[in-house]
Formats: sequence, structure tokens, C-alpha cells
Amino acid sequence: MSKLLRPTPLLIDFFIIINLSFLVIDIYVAHSTNDFSHYAEWIPFYFSLIAPILLSVEMWLNWNVNKPSNYFLSFLVGGLAILIGISGLIWHLHSTFFEYQTLRSLVYTAPFIAPLAYTGIGALLVMNRMVDCETIEWGQWLIFFGFGGFIGNFILSLSDHAQNGFFIFYEWVPVISSAFAVSFLGVILLRNSTIRFIDVSIWIMIIQIIIGLIGLFFHSQTILNNPMSSFFETIIYNAPIFAPLLFVNLAVLAILGLIDIRFKIEMNL
Amino acid sequence: MTFKNVFISIIIATTMILSAFLIHRARPEIELAQPSPEYIRATGKCASCHLKETSAIVHQYSMSKHASENITCYECHRALDGQEELGHKGFTLAKNVTALNCSQCHTTEYDQFIRSRHGAPAWAAVTGRSDFTEEQIAFAEKFHPKSVNRGENKLAVIEGPGVMEKGCLGCHAVGKPNSDGSIGSCTACHARHSASVALARQPETCGQCHMGPDHSQLEIYNESKHGVLYALQKSHLNLGADPKTLSTKDMSVPTCATCHMSGLEGMNITHDVTERLSWWLFSPISKKRPNYNLGQEAMKNICLKCHAKTHVEKFYREAEEVVIATNGKVQNALNIVSDLRKDGLLTPEPFDEPIEFIAFDLWHYAGRTAKHGAFMGGADFVQWHGNYELLLKTIEMEEMAEAIRSKSHQKN
Repeated sequence: MSKLLRPTPLLIDFFIIINLSFLVIDIYVAHSTNDFSHYAEWIPFYFSLIAPILLSVEMWLNWNVNKPSNYFLSFLVGGLAILIGISGLIWHLHSTFFEYQTLRSLVYTAPFIAPLAYTGIGALLVMNRMVDCETIEWGQWLIFFGFGGFIGNFILSLSDHAQNGFFIFYEWVPVISSAFAVSFLGVILLRNSTIRFIDVSIWIMIIQIIIGLIGLFFHSQTILNNPMSSFFETIIYNAPIFAPLLFVNLAVLAILGLIDIRFKIEMNL
Repeated sequence: MTFKNVFISIIIATTMILSAFLIHRARPEIELAQPSPEYIRATGKCASCHLKETSAIVHQYSMSKHASENITCYECHRALDGQEELGHKGFTLAKNVTALNCSQCHTTEYDQFIRSRHGAPAWAAVTGRSDFTEEQIAFAEKFHPKSVNRGENKLAVIEGPGVMEKGCLGCHAVGKPNSDGSIGSCTACHARHSASVALARQPETCGQCHMGPDHSQLEIYNESKHGVLYALQKSHLNLGADPKTLSTKDMSVPTCATCHMSGLEGMNITHDVTERLSWWLFSPISKKRPNYNLGQEAMKNICLKCHAKTHVEKFYREAEEVVIATNGKVQNALNIVSDLRKDGLLTPEPFDEPIEFIAFDLWHYAGRTAKHGAFMGGADFVQWHGNYELLLKTIEMEEMAEAIRSKSHQKN
């Protein structure tokens, strides 16, 4: 495999900045469903707005430094992201789950896994600063974050589609595909793997990307066929338009990790 | 190694998927059944929230004819011209769903309904003309003279606004003028989300209002052979049958709607519940309605679905005898009050002296009951709840009048 294809920490930084920036739109749409009824709902919005700027500033400061060591902003952003994610999880569950503690309340609560996106991004950022990218551990961590994300995708696609009782049979597709993503990435993390198995896993991830894009198409169809009074409200009160893109996003992250590990196995590192 | 890893991966994935299927299967039926085609028609988005909040209305809707005809929530709830708007989760809805919304599709039924006594006259019977426009008054007066162009009900005013809202208007709101210019509420008989024909055909629905001492139609019906047969054979009836093809096979036993409204075997369907009536039975002194002949003929045609012509004619003849006799008895009793008032022994105000209440009970309870009983086959109501009470109250009134006169003589 060409050395040029090997992922670098800088690439992961861009990945994080793009993710945080995208969350600005995502959170705005998600929390608009209840008109930001609690002031705390603005916290992730403003955080997502400011964090990419802080990270960009840090990247710019470290750009021409041989061995950059000024990572205060990264750790600040990473730490806060982890905190926001965990608080968000508890907050979302609190809506009905803690009151009734039933499967029903879990299905119909606010998407409780969703805030963990912040925890994942925060932890990825911290890892990117703390783990040497030359070690196999770095690639394994990337796969681990992809693996964690796909566990979230499995739960979210299951509980979100359970809300309408899997009315259309192909609503099971993301559940099935994310289960395969979890299992293949999990096996890579827990067992020694051959290059062929890594290649199979990369294909499994490419399938996740395709499924994510098909999901985006289907979710957008529900938006195009709805009698809402404005386009924005159509987006807010419909199938979550951006949710399928999580499959694309996490598959890309996992692929970066898989390529890195593949490269290191090839090089016997 | 590659095969082993793939095998383990597939086993893990299969376990996860199987668990998801099993958990999903273990969910209550009511949640799994949520998105049946009826539910989806109910939604867009509505049912997904309303199943958690006011879930019964979604279930009622899913069982309705509207659901099977692909009518969505929005089609009934959207704001029409002249309706006050309500923004709700991205939808612009009518603040109040009224007869105007129903009339989008059920225009004929609405037009018939507003010609009936269930229209403007029902509301005006309590509040008078004040809530209606000149056009609405003129329209209603064409069919029911002096029924809307009138003052408010004196008794309702004396009893006060709280009673008026929760009492009188609870029933009389069937003809309430709406802010969008329409009149009345179809849901009084059809219920909101069930929008049920079967419900409207049940005597209990009419009996929500047509009961009690002042118009005891439900009690009379229950006592009549019609009512007894209905109670025993209800399970054999097809109450939800299509009104346009309704036959005696569907409704071998009549309910209120069968005789007063239905298109039984080719009859004209009507939502003007007064169309087949021939007498103003609710009046103190009953007179023939302007459409006496047409109304009676239409009703008799319904009777003929089950009864021989000779029987029907005899039934009407006997019932009209009761009406005429009751008119005489009521008139005698009311004369007692009017004579006292003429002699200055009663105030001009109604409902401020005991004899006025007895007179009111006499025509409003006993008189009406006797007449309704005669036309609906309620023997006990003609006799004990009707004529016996008429006699008793007349004697009471005569004694009271004598006492008032002698008291007045003593004073003078």
C-alpha cells in the first residue's frame, strides 16, 4: 500500500474540526424540535460553534513548529466535549427513561446515544494528542472510535426505527449493517488479524458508506413529501436528515484506522 | 486466521441482529401495530407524538371510515378561510375544528343540518338571537319561524351563566354559531375522531340530549317495542352500513336515525331531523308544521317498511287524538295562569311564583311526554308520566288559583 494513503494526525484533526462544525447545524435542527426549551440546550450549539475555531487557531500556531507541544486548547476542547457528551446522555435519558425505566420510554425518549458524539470526538482529539501515530496503538484507537460509533449507530437505528415499528422492512438494513460493522471492527480490536481480514473489513465499511448515502436519500424523500408550512419546519419535524451520514462519517474514521493498521502490518511495525 | 475472524464476526453480528429482532418482537402489540396503513394515514407526523399524548384519539381514528378512505388528520384539522389559525409543530391548523371543516366533503349533509332544528334554533333556544348574524337569522327563520329571532330563554337567565354553560348549552351547542361563519358541530352525534355513522345510529347518542322529563324520547324509545327489539337484537344489526345502500337487512329494527334520517331502501337520506315531522310536539299547544303533509308522508313511508298501511294510519290517527286532547288539557291549565295574570293577581314576570312552575311542568314535562309517548309507542308515558300528571297538576293549579283569589279578596 502506498505510503501516501497512510493517515496522519493532521488528517484526524481535520476530521474532528469538520465533525464539530457540522454539529452546529445538527444540534440547531435537533433542539429546534422543542424550541430550545431549556437554556442548557444552547450549550452544545455554542460549543460546536467555538470549538472548531479554537482548534483551528491551535493548528495554525503549531503549523511551522517541528515538535509542537502547545496542546492546551486541544485538551480544553477535548475535555469539554467529553463532559458535554456525558451530561447530554444523562439529560436526554432524564426526559422519560428515568421516570418509567421501560423499553417504551427508552424508545420514545430524546435520542440518548446522540450526545455521546461529543464524547467520542473529544476522546478522539485527546487520543490524537497523546498517542504516538507511529505505533500500532494509534490505528487501533481510530478503529475503537469507529467501533464505539457503530455501537451507537446500531442502538440509534434500532430505537429510532422502532418508533414507527419498522413500518418499511428496509428500515432494518441499517440495524443489520451496523451490527456487521460492530462485529468486524470488534474482532480486529480483540484478535490478531490478517491483511485479508482487514481488507474484508474495509469493504464492510465501504458498504456502510453506501448504506448511509441511501439512508440520506430515503430520509430526504420524507422531507420532500410533507405538508409543512416552511422548509425549515419540514426538516425539523421529519425523519432526521443527517442521521444516516453518521454511517458515512464513522466508516471513514474506521477506514483510516484500518488502513493505518494494514500499513503497519505490511511494514511489520 | 482470516476465516476464523470472519466466522466470529458473523456470529457476533447475527447475535446482535437476532437480539434486536427478539427485543422488537417483545414490544407490546400496540406499539408494533402503530404504523398500520391506518396509522400512517393518520400521521404525516401527528400520530408519532399523539400516541404518547392523547393516544385514544389516534386509535379511534384508525378504526374510522375516514382512515380507510385515506383521509389524514391534516385534512380535517387544517385552517380554512375565516378560521382562526394555530401554529402547531410546523402545521397551520384550525384553532377550532367546526362544521365548516366537515362541510369540505359533506356539503349536502351540512346544508340539510343547518335547515334543521339542530342548527341555529337549538342555540337560540337558550341564548336568543344575539350570537347570530342577520343572514343566519333570516335563513333559519325561513324554516323555523320565531325560533332564532327571539330573546334569550328566561329560565336559563334566572338560573345563571354557570348553569347555562354546563347545563343547557351542553346540548344546545349542537347549533352553536362558530367564529368562521358556520353553524353547529357534527361531532355532537358522530364523535370527533371516530366520525362514526354507527355511533350516530345508536339511540344512546340521540339520548345524550333527548332524555329526561322535558323530552323523554330515549326513555319512551326504550319502553317501546322498537327499543326492546333493539336491546335484544343489537348484535344482529349492521349499524355501520353505508347510508346510501341501507336496507332492512342491515337495520331490521329501527333506531331514532332509521326513522328520522335514514335512506332506508331508497328513501331520501336527510340530516334535517325535522323533515319527517308533522307536528310541533315540543310547543305547549302543538300545531301542525308547515310541511305537515310532506313530513307525515315521508315518515309513514318509513313505517311501511315494517308495518301494514292500515296499522300505520290507525297509529297516526290515535296519536293525533292524544295530541289534540293534550292541547285542550294544557290550554285549560294555561288559562288558569293567564286569567290570574289578567286579574293582576300574578306579576308579569315568569318563574317568580309557584303556580307558574306547576304550569311550566304541566306542559313542558307532562304535556310533551304524553304527545311524544303517543307518537313513539310509549304507553306508560301517554298514561302515567303524561295524562295522569296533567290531571294532577291541573287540580293542583286550580286549588292554588283559588287560594290566590281568596287571599286577594281577604286583602281587599
